[in-house]
Amino acid sequence: MIAMKSVIKILCCQILALGLLTGCSRSFLDRPPLSQISAENFYKSTNDLRLATAALYGGSPWGDWNYTCYLPVGDVLSGNMAVGYWGDAVQLNTFSITGQNAIMVSNWKSMYNIIAQCNITINAIKDRAPDSIPLQARNAATAEARFIRGYAYFNLAIHWGAVPVIEDNGKLVTSPLVNRVKTEDVYKFAINDLTFAAEHLPAADAAGRLTTWSAQGMLAKVYLAFSGYNQQGSRNQALLDSAAKYAGNVCKKSGLALLPNYANLFKTQYNDNPESLFALQWAPGGGWLEGNMLQIYSTSPEISANGSAGWFGIGPTVDMIKLYSAKDSIRRKATFMLNGDYYPELNAAGGGFKYTGNCAIKKHIIGTNKDNNSPTMTQNSSTEHNALLRLADVYLVYAEALLGNHGTTTDADALLYFNKVRERAGLMPAPMLDADSIMIERRIELAAEGQYWTDLVRLSYYNPAKAIGKLNGEQRVTFTYSGGVITPASPYGVITPATIQSFTFPIPSSEITANPKLLEAPVPYF
Amino acid sequence: MLMLPAWLLIGVLFCASSFAQSITLTGTVVNKKTNAPVPGVAIVVKNSNRHAISDAAGKFTLETTAGNTLLVSMMGFEKQEVTVGKTNNITIQLVENVSQLDDVVVIGYGKTKRKDVTGAISSVSGDEIRKTQPTTFDQALQGKVPGLVVQQVSGQPGGAVSVQIRGLSSFGSSGPMYVIDGIIIGGTASLGEGTNPLAGINPSEIESIDVLKDASATAIYGSQATNGVIVITTKRGLVAPPAISYDMYTGYQQLPKRMPLMDLQEYATFINERNKALGWGFDTREDFANPKYLGKGTDWQKELFRNAPMTNHSLTVNGGDVRTQYLLSGSYFKQEGIALGSDFERVSVRLNLDNKTTDWLKIGTSLQLANIKESVNTTGNSVIHSALTQTPDIAIRNPDGSWGGNYNPDGWVNNNIVNPYAMALINKDDINRYQLFANLYADVAFYKDLSLRNEVTFSYSTAREDRFNPTYTFGLVKRTNNSGAFLYNQNLFKTIRNYFTYQHVFDKKYNVNAVVGHEAQLSTSEGASAARDNFPSNNVQVISSGDPTTATNTGIKGQNAQESYFGRINFGLNDKYLFTGNVRADGSSKFAADNRWVTTWSGAFAWKLNNEAFLRQVKQVNELKLRLGYGLTNNQNIRDFAYTSTLMTVATGLTGIAQLTVNVGNPYVQWEKTKYTNIGLDGTFFNWRLNFELNFYNRRTDGLVMQIPLPLYAGTAIGWAPGSLDAPYVNIGIVNNKGFDFRISSTNIQRKHFSWKTDFTVSRNINEVIKLNTDGASLSRPYTRTVVGRSIGEFYGYVIDGGVFATAKDFETHALPVKNGEPLPVGPAGGSIWYGDLKFKDLNGDGIINELDQTYLGSPIPKYQLGLNNTISYKNFDLNIFFSANIGNKVFNQLRITGEYPGTSSGYMRNLMNYAQLALIDSSGSATDIKNVYVKNPGTFIPGLRNDNTNDNNRVSNKYVEDGDFLRCKNISLGFSLPDKLLNVLHIHYLRLYVNVSNAFIISKYSGMDPEIGSWDPLNAGIDNGFYPQPRVYTIGANIKLTK
Repeated sequence: MIAMKSVIKILCCQILALGLLTGCSRSFLDRPPLSQISAENFYKSTNDLRLATAALYGGSPWGDWNYTCYLPVGDVLSGNMAVGYWGDAVQLNTFSITGQNAIMVSNWKSMYNIIAQCNITINAIKDRAPDSIPLQARNAATAEARFIRGYAYFNLAIHWGAVPVIEDNGKLVTSPLVNRVKTEDVYKFAINDLTFAAEHLPAADAAGRLTTWSAQGMLAKVYLAFSGYNQQGSRNQALLDSAAKYAGNVCKKSGLALLPNYANLFKTQYNDNPESLFALQWAPGGGWLEGNMLQIYSTSPEISANGSAGWFGIGPTVDMIKLYSAKDSIRRKATFMLNGDYYPELNAAGGGFKYTGNCAIKKHIIGTNKDNNSPTMTQNSSTEHNALLRLADVYLVYAEALLGNHGTTTDADALLYFNKVRERAGLMPAPMLDADSIMIERRIELAAEGQYWTDLVRLSYYNPAKAIGKLNGEQRVTFTYSGGVITPASPYGVITPATIQSFTFPIPSSEITANPKLLEAPVPYF
Repeated sequence: MLMLPAWLLIGVLFCASSFAQSITLTGTVVNKKTNAPVPGVAIVVKNSNRHAISDAAGKFTLETTAGNTLLVSMMGFEKQEVTVGKTNNITIQLVENVSQLDDVVVIGYGKTKRKDVTGAISSVSGDEIRKTQPTTFDQALQGKVPGLVVQQVSGQPGGAVSVQIRGLSSFGSSGPMYVIDGIIIGGTASLGEGTNPLAGINPSEIESIDVLKDASATAIYGSQATNGVIVITTKRGLVAPPAISYDMYTGYQQLPKRMPLMDLQEYATFINERNKALGWGFDTREDFANPKYLGKGTDWQKELFRNAPMTNHSLTVNGGDVRTQYLLSGSYFKQEGIALGSDFERVSVRLNLDNKTTDWLKIGTSLQLANIKESVNTTGNSVIHSALTQTPDIAIRNPDGSWGGNYNPDGWVNNNIVNPYAMALINKDDINRYQLFANLYADVAFYKDLSLRNEVTFSYSTAREDRFNPTYTFGLVKRTNNSGAFLYNQNLFKTIRNYFTYQHVFDKKYNVNAVVGHEAQLSTSEGASAARDNFPSNNVQVISSGDPTTATNTGIKGQNAQESYFGRINFGLNDKYLFTGNVRADGSSKFAADNRWVTTWSGAFAWKLNNEAFLRQVKQVNELKLRLGYGLTNNQNIRDFAYTSTLMTVATGLTGIAQLTVNVGNPYVQWEKTKYTNIGLDGTFFNWRLNFELNFYNRRTDGLVMQIPLPLYAGTAIGWAPGSLDAPYVNIGIVNNKGFDFRISSTNIQRKHFSWKTDFTVSRNINEVIKLNTDGASLSRPYTRTVVGRSIGEFYGYVIDGGVFATAKDFETHALPVKNGEPLPVGPAGGSIWYGDLKFKDLNGDGIINELDQTYLGSPIPKYQLGLNNTISYKNFDLNIFFSANIGNKVFNQLRITGEYPGTSSGYMRNLMNYAQLALIDSSGSATDIKNVYVKNPGTFIPGLRNDNTNDNNRVSNKYVEDGDFLRCKNISLGFSLPDKLLNVLHIHYLRLYVNVSNAFIISKYSGMDPEIGSWDPLNAGIDNGFYPQPRVYTIGANIKLTK
């Protein structure tokens, strides 16, 4: 009977224990994330919003694009440079891009990744940010995200024209099969984003942050491209005027000026200088495709991070190098290395660097960890904040917008800003401007900054014959260089003559497989 | 209230027994068949502590009373109950266990006799598992359990295995739940690629494995069990004198098959031809001028793969008296991989204790500690893939002793391919895991019919990974910066479980067994890692010796919890009709508060036809049972916190740190619900010599949870994809699995000195996707596509229409690919289609080749998986031959994409020599004139030598999809047990010596190394990309048993 009593006691304890467990079961199952901030607990202060938008300026959303597309699309496809031993890049060189081309697919994917991050940030600020955060701060943060989203849609419009427009990524879960949107509406979407940004970004902010001048400069560029869309011979004057208006604001009202020394633009000591309107904000450290990987083009372990040389031999084409006049040596030397060039700032501790190969890229090659005072910089994470929009670009946009549909111009403003760019390069001012002189100036000033292809595409909008002619007239091969003599190298592949098709990327095959509606005619968005 | 009358009842029983007369019983236990004495048999007086154990002559003495019942039990024999008569001397004849029907089957929170099972449950004994000498037990289930499809995910030693019970019901992992001695194996700490979380469980300790398949069997386990449950019971102590057993084997493994790659002469010939044909010039290799004077070059497969030893020792002591039974076992297992840079070592110790403390209390424990050391360098550094892609002109070592590597700076050379042999040797990727599995239990018997079991279980595991990648120079391929990383994870999974069991027979007719209980689980995990670069020496590899300015680290914490209430009732009527009902409520922290709780239920009915009057007379039928089951199970197979978006801290050049959104949360994500029907028939005939189990089932899973693969424009991705958001978990669709599984076992011959038994299993599953998130939606992966009306993860791509463009007419009759809607031009230049390009089939007949011309190219899921096992014994010899087969699955041979592409710079396959050979009709005519060119070997599927790849000749097409059917001789073993006479001289109870060959041979049309390609990702299954193949293993071994 003693046993019996114990049994009853145990039973009672058990029932009690069960009751206790049941009683606290609600909190037992409340297990919030421990390692990361949940979106519900974020976006609660101005500082939270600043931390969220800061993530859109670089890092993994931009890493793949910066590595795979920035120069291959902007400069290899356009004929400024050529890169070998990489089948996908050879397709860019020879105008034989297929729906499987990895560079093209990366460009598509990266822009939509950036758009997704921007959309999430924009929607989270709208839905979650409390009223206790001043409206101005909420708008400014939204404006940063909308600038970057607008940039991405502009990039998509240039390369593909009609593409899907995604504003709410959550909706894709239930209805993933969307149509492409007409090219003009993609442009209008980008313009709307950038207009909002221009209205709500401050006139000045911490170095590297976007300002209204960034947005207005970008807006000018988008208007200028859009002004030629679906036009024959001449461009839409109203859109040209808008381009001139915004570019003019940046030139005259921003108080910004060009950096006096062109070569300094590409040194990390001058990251986020006043000329830089939108630059990717890379940090050292970080893994594969998370940082600025442009050191992959470095030719020597002496001049790159951690003593590891790059692996893609990219170099200027014969066509590009011949554009530089003898006097244009400041920009040439800051952009491309030729045999015998000496760079004291590269491997400074080792007495500088003398280039002994034929030809190679110089921009984005920033030297060793010591040169950049960055011990944690690696091969995958250059600390250069490469600018995607800078003041000189806007100056030239302004000149081109003022030239507009005229054959030539001697407009004082056009000449003033155009010649500021030339004077910094150590060249004589131009007395008069025409379409070709501006295009060549842009090509040289912005070489190896991923810009020339955009210029060719927007030319193809209203003057396809001229754009095709420019491509087919190019000598798209690198060269050997000795004693000042340029000898063209053998081509990486047989170059197919460019056609109007060459200005539009095919849609990635995998996307069409996943969504055959992409083959249908594009639909209006607005 | 319930207890009082029962207590009275027991009292009455005790009183009744005290009137009986006490006698001293002496007896002998013999084997009924051989009449030989059986030592070590436990004879227990029912409902008392009195017991005896038979001695070497099978004799025992026991104080008892007439009318008492003796329980006689011994491993390998059927249990008996003997009623004590008036005589003082009895002989007990034990019958060897020939049928499984009296076996006890684990049914979750309880056990039952096999003959009373209502659900679909298959069992495998530990002996059966050990016959194939698996490194991990899950490998050995292949072909043994009907309804189970087992495929090796990696052939590396101790490598992972994918197990699916009755098809894929989930787009995520479809693996079953594993329970070992009541311990749920959930989230053991794991690191490294291809490692197996179950590797700590030593196959030699397993008593039996029960596989719970249908809803009526699994529902009691609730939400973790929707894909079936594999219940592992380890050996325990017995009421018997101490027995010491020692099992060992040792042997070596070899690579069964190599890939056909070019040797140096072939390679040089090909390079010369390509260089000449394309007019490249830059690929002119002076050293290749005369290929016939070259040797065979380096055969990287031969160098990388070796004959590797493996060895196993395990020692077990078990025994016990009526109060306390114990088992203590220790084992050591070591296996080197057949590929350099891989090995596996396991040391494990187990202690199982059971103690009957008082009349009403029984306590006990199952404890296992294991340590696993592995080198996974082969997999972690993709060494096999490198060996299959490196070219034969590269030396392993240069004459000066340095490592060989690409030496030719010019030409079409892939300068990224490392020296695989060197990589296997100089890199370090070591994983060291500790796993503690512990179960402590206390059984309280309130009275005969009602008991309470309290269990606390812990699964504590740690994993460390130590990686070092040194600097090296392989010819022109250099790595000038070394790096090291150290990772640590730990995981604690705790369960508290209390349940009551009530069991009673009313009126000798109505048998009731009811279980009611509560369970709470908490899993917590923590991890940290550190990495540095720039170590001063490759020999000093501790993290702190790396350059401190390059230090990086990570830290992570996770948790999830589950709480459940459950109940089951089994009701038997007249031993003819059996009913089972299960219900379980689960709450999980993985869902948003509103979606946390869900109810799982099932019901089953079984009809024992053999106990009906009309069959009772039929002597040939021993057992015949019809089973019907239906239920609803739920699944929470998603990662933690999937219901919310999270942000992580990232570095930025702007403000130092920033918060980047990691994933797209879905607050609406719900439990996955499976409706499960099972109809089964079990039978035993001809004096237990033939038995079978047959099950038909239908599983329909609604609200399928998965990370949804969306087009790239959604900005989401699954898995490692820097810059993309982690895709949301969504209840996206419906998938149906139906099929049958069948096992038949027969004793073909049973004579005194000769017996022959055969087991045959068939598993057939038909998987069909019924619905996805929207009409027309598809789940695409690089080589597969999943759509409504087809099975998960079918290969998808183009179909080659008979070969290459070979005649001028082909260009008129075959559609051409398009770019931006315009057909590509015909011509030899880049950007054009020409002779030697593959002809793709214009499947939709629109006159062009584009994405709409793709089709489904077959499924990686086997239609049937079969197992055939034959056991023959003759006198003291035993022979076991086991075959397993996969029928009807396809394998995507990804290696051929580059290996059979003429423009490749790596992985030259021998087939490549059969590239399309262009020739001129008029040899003096133009090579660019479409009318003057033809192809000499028009039927080839290898494109011609083209300068670019405008035709995308290596796009996904049926040429890479191969039949994956195979018949594998999994095992042949021949054993010899020493005769008793000899054993008596040696004072050994039992000694068996054996030889064994695992994976003896395989019959398959597959061109790669091994057609068995397992995967945990059903959307990405059956893809061979330098898979670690399963070795052929030769071993010799011994089982020795010593008794007192």
